[in-house]
Amino acid sequence: MKSTVKSAPPAPVATSPARIPRSSVRKPRERWSLTWPLHLMLLPAVLVTILFAYVPMGGLAMAFQDFKPYDGIFGSPFVGLEHFRFMFEYPDSKQVILNTLIIAGLKIVFGLLVPFAFAILLNEIRMIFFKRVVQTLVYLPHFISWVILGAILTDMLSSEGIVNQTLSAIGLQPVFWLGDGNWFRFTVVVSDIWQNFGFNTIVFLAALAGVNPSLYEAAEVDGASRWRQTLHITMPAMIPIAVVVGTLSLGNILNAGFDQIFNLYNPLVYDKGDIIDTFVYRTAILNGQYSFGTAVGMFKSMVGLILIVISYRLAAKYAGYRIF
Amino acid sequence: MKRQVALVLVLMLVFLAACSNNGGNSTEGTGGEGQGQGTQTEDPGSNKEEATANGFKDGKYDPPISLTTVVGLDQNAAVFKKGESMEDNVHTRLVKERLGIDLKYDWVVTNTNDAYKTKLRLMLSSGEKMPDVVRYRGDMETVNLLLDSGQFMAVDELIEQYAGDLYKEGLELDPTIWYPITRDGKKMALPILDYAYNGNQTMFIREDWLRKLNLEAPKTLDELEVVMDAFVNQDPDGNGKKDTLGLATGFKNGFNTWMTDIGFVFGAYGALPGSWNPGEDGTLVHGSVEPKAKEALLRLRDWMSKGYISQDSALKDEVGGSEMFTKGQAGIMVGPNWIPAWPLPDLEVNVPEAEYKAYPLPTGPDGIAGAAGNNPPVNGYLFINKNAKHPEAVLHYYNFFFDNLANPEPDSEFALGFAEGYDYAVLDDGTVIRDNNTAKEHAELFPDVDLNNSLPNPFFYTLTYEGARIPTLYADSMVKAAEGGELVTPYEKMEVGGRKEQNIHAMKVIMDQLDVYHKNYYMGPLTDTMQSKNELLSKLVNEAYNKIIYSQSPPEEFDKMSDSWHKSGGEQITKEVNEWYEEVK
Repeated sequence: MKSTVKSAPPAPVATSPARIPRSSVRKPRERWSLTWPLHLMLLPAVLVTILFAYVPMGGLAMAFQDFKPYDGIFGSPFVGLEHFRFMFEYPDSKQVILNTLIIAGLKIVFGLLVPFAFAILLNEIRMIFFKRVVQTLVYLPHFISWVILGAILTDMLSSEGIVNQTLSAIGLQPVFWLGDGNWFRFTVVVSDIWQNFGFNTIVFLAALAGVNPSLYEAAEVDGASRWRQTLHITMPAMIPIAVVVGTLSLGNILNAGFDQIFNLYNPLVYDKGDIIDTFVYRTAILNGQYSFGTAVGMFKSMVGLILIVISYRLAAKYAGYRIF
Repeated sequence: MKRQVALVLVLMLVFLAACSNNGGNSTEGTGGEGQGQGTQTEDPGSNKEEATANGFKDGKYDPPISLTTVVGLDQNAAVFKKGESMEDNVHTRLVKERLGIDLKYDWVVTNTNDAYKTKLRLMLSSGEKMPDVVRYRGDMETVNLLLDSGQFMAVDELIEQYAGDLYKEGLELDPTIWYPITRDGKKMALPILDYAYNGNQTMFIREDWLRKLNLEAPKTLDELEVVMDAFVNQDPDGNGKKDTLGLATGFKNGFNTWMTDIGFVFGAYGALPGSWNPGEDGTLVHGSVEPKAKEALLRLRDWMSKGYISQDSALKDEVGGSEMFTKGQAGIMVGPNWIPAWPLPDLEVNVPEAEYKAYPLPTGPDGIAGAAGNNPPVNGYLFINKNAKHPEAVLHYYNFFFDNLANPEPDSEFALGFAEGYDYAVLDDGTVIRDNNTAKEHAELFPDVDLNNSLPNPFFYTLTYEGARIPTLYADSMVKAAEGGELVTPYEKMEVGGRKEQNIHAMKVIMDQLDVYHKNYYMGPLTDTMQSKNELLSKLVNEAYNKIIYSQSPPEEFDKMSDSWHKSGGEQITKEVNEWYEEVK
């Protein structure tokens, strides 16, 4: 009540507080006259985003239709949640979702731990040149396509490949890396980490570069060992960025890496290695079931979105880190 | 606010426009279908009269007519002389001059990333007017879309009246050629013929290994095992290591593949996985779940455990499988007649002393051999617009190529190729140049041709992708050569003359055992149950097959798999497949 009285223009008393709301009403318009060129410059980007990120979302309608390419989105009949029902009733769905969660989960966990540890190790190196070279080298595989990596790995891991030759040279049993379900998961996770840990290492190194050197000096004066410094200065400094990386990667919990699995898997490892994306490729794309493919894609996006929101809330609450 | 309102309005307008546009289409579409049926029953008759009235006389339309089409330029077709294009080149001029057909292209795209297919599909879904004739080569899904669009006419009467003898003979070679494109008993497209038997596979064996180990070429599976055992355990490559294999195979892509196919082991037991075969009662049964397949699987399981086939076979595709042979690691490989041209030259590079030869496929316990093959000689289709003014022009066109260019007489106009200065040139001493490397030394004979590229080949400009192919011509000429016949016609000299001896011999081996090959009898569109269940079923089969072969599952797994195959939709699919079969056969 008070505030309404205050903001009412004719109020004679307290002129100065009354003026503030009035001017704040006028301000946007003034600001607009000043900033419209900036908005205009922003417009193309917004339009492009709408055009290429939001308009295609209209295609999600396909998930609720029995989509036939000839009839198009507007001509295909609606079937409600039929495709979602089909997805969950499909006999293999449970196994496929479980595989995806296991493989993606392992990738997320180790994809965070490995670069975390590696960045700390790399940070301790004094020879800048060596550090740079290693940093670049571990980043390199990130740029190689899985079509090529898949062929190389298939060859290296074959029964007479270099890996098994080495194993038998040191007296171990050769391993059927790509044909045994459990080893397949292992191979997939390790090769993925190998390919991608360089990227997050760089992110963590960037965070480490921002640590105030005086902290280390102070710790040294207090007699802290190298390990203690790592434990109490380096690692806490990396936690926020680790939380960000972890939060963002949680959205990928249902993306176990189509390119990779598709180029490595075979019928022998269907039970342990078949993931949602390869499953959808075979069911939906190869058999022209576009609606079903869209439904699964939508399901994946929804789960990803929910997980990101939850983990972001948790991160904001417990680690105090805000991205948005 | 105004802006926002404007924006919202604009968006709504766009949306509405899209809606109404499409609404129009769908009504057009249904109307079209109705019309289409009308055309099927009545029009051909009236067309015929029109055609004769419009005067196709002495092999030519006078005055010239125009025929519209669209094209996606593949890499080999996109090579032109300077100043020429798809719309105007030696091919279009020839067709206009000789046949009075003026080819018009509604659009031309470079066919990368399936651009042609995409554009065709867009045309279909936007209800754009189709040209007089549409060609398509590729996935059956698009073929079915085109067939079911209601834009194209039935061709039964056209073929009856206008198809030339060579085209008719080619079509009659295998009546099942019509199965995939038959709708309600009507033939809905013109098949573009290709050479027959080219995909049939037979067995190639390292002759030098057989000789070294004093072995006979195997005729049965049992004999094959003896040979494979020797190849694995008696060090045929003489390097003192046990690093050799019996059979090169890769079944990552299944048990019915285009090279290094392992299907012949199943065929020897009378089953063919991955295809629909007529059973004893005449109905179609799925080869993957026939009880006979189990015995073949157990045989393969034995081979795997004895090391006759590589442990990596399940991880290799066709090319990967063939590498075991070309590396000189395996002594036997199954493949089509042309593998001596590719990829087997790699073997000669890796193992210079290697010799190999084709042999008939081994027989099983009942004395039969079997493999996938003998599929109808078709590669692509021509769809004729139901509103085309001159639907018969397409056949006149195709006939012209069959009569004059498919198998030209010696010294006839097209004996050496399509056009001098394009795909060939003749030197003063009579030598014929056909490749751009030699052509570089005689650049003056190829005016306006970029000799850093391959020579422009007008055959690739044609409506039918590569002129006309007489299905049996390739196999017949090869067999003739294998039997010591003299190469007379330009085709024989060109196609067979340059072939390796092993290639020619392999074709003869294949032609001599033609009855062991069985085609996949289901050629219809994906049925509803197939769409939803195909993946599940093929996964069931592939997983069980592989695990049995690798001894990761007991043999009984096969019965379990077969059982759940039937229960999870296989039975329904079998029913649908047989309904289709009843209709077309």
